[in-house]
Amino acid sequence: MVDALREVHRVLAPRGIVIDARPDSRVLAYAERRKVRGFQRFGEVKTSSVELASDRASDRAIARVVRERLFRRRRHGRFWHRVPFESLADLRHYLWEHLRFVHRASWVVDVAMRKRYANEEFVIRRAVRYEILETKRR
Amino acid sequence: MSGDAESHVGRHVPALSSTLRPRPVDELREWGGAELVRGKRVLDLGCGDGRFALGVAAFASTVEGLDPDAEAIAAAKKAARKSGVRNVRFAVGAAQRLPYPDGALDVVILSWTL
Repeated sequence: MVDALREVHRVLAPRGIVIDARPDSRVLAYAERRKVRGFQRFGEVKTSSVELASDRASDRAIARVVRERLFRRRRHGRFWHRVPFESLADLRHYLWEHLRFVHRASWVVDVAMRKRYANEEFVIRRAVRYEILETKRR
Repeated sequence: MSGDAESHVGRHVPALSSTLRPRPVDELREWGGAELVRGKRVLDLGCGDGRFALGVAAFASTVEGLDPDAEAIAAAKKAARKSGVRNVRFAVGAAQRLPYPDGALDVVILSWTL
């Protein structure tokens, strides 16, 4: 990753920018039921350990090229993004096959509640973080 | 969820999983708006099926899309032809050896890439 970021620095013009955006594994994702107005939290979804390690490696790579004075940090932030599902079964299927998250949500509602609303629309609400870096003069 | 996105959930094919990401215009707005790329030479590194590159093409001067997945790049080229966008080029390549001269770009986007 550091090699790639050095290459990015090479091809960028002076004061060029890099925008690094990816899911924010530092906060939980949530399984939510879509209501007429708003959403109801049904469970929490953690990031898989493999992806957590990968995210940390990316963070270290960014920190390194900043330390090397190739880039300076200009701005960062986080926003939330919802992935929609037609039913709770679809959401579970997604978690089961998706590599980024652990395969099972930690439910915060009981079984009866999950059965009652199983055929309604659900979402996974997850955080996306971004950071804007600017090239320093060569 | 649309039929396409639903049918490909969890398959981990970059070109397809990108349909589950925020819309390019939404992501761009969160980053600070179209001004970030307006009139700029942009590289979407790890562009997958080109969804993001094509999404920002309306604002940028030129957009390069690079990805090591030849299948994804073929899909990106097809999507570009279909949408009629003329300022976007896609190529197969690796981030460790970018096929561009020094200082050739203004913005590099690593959208869900690092």
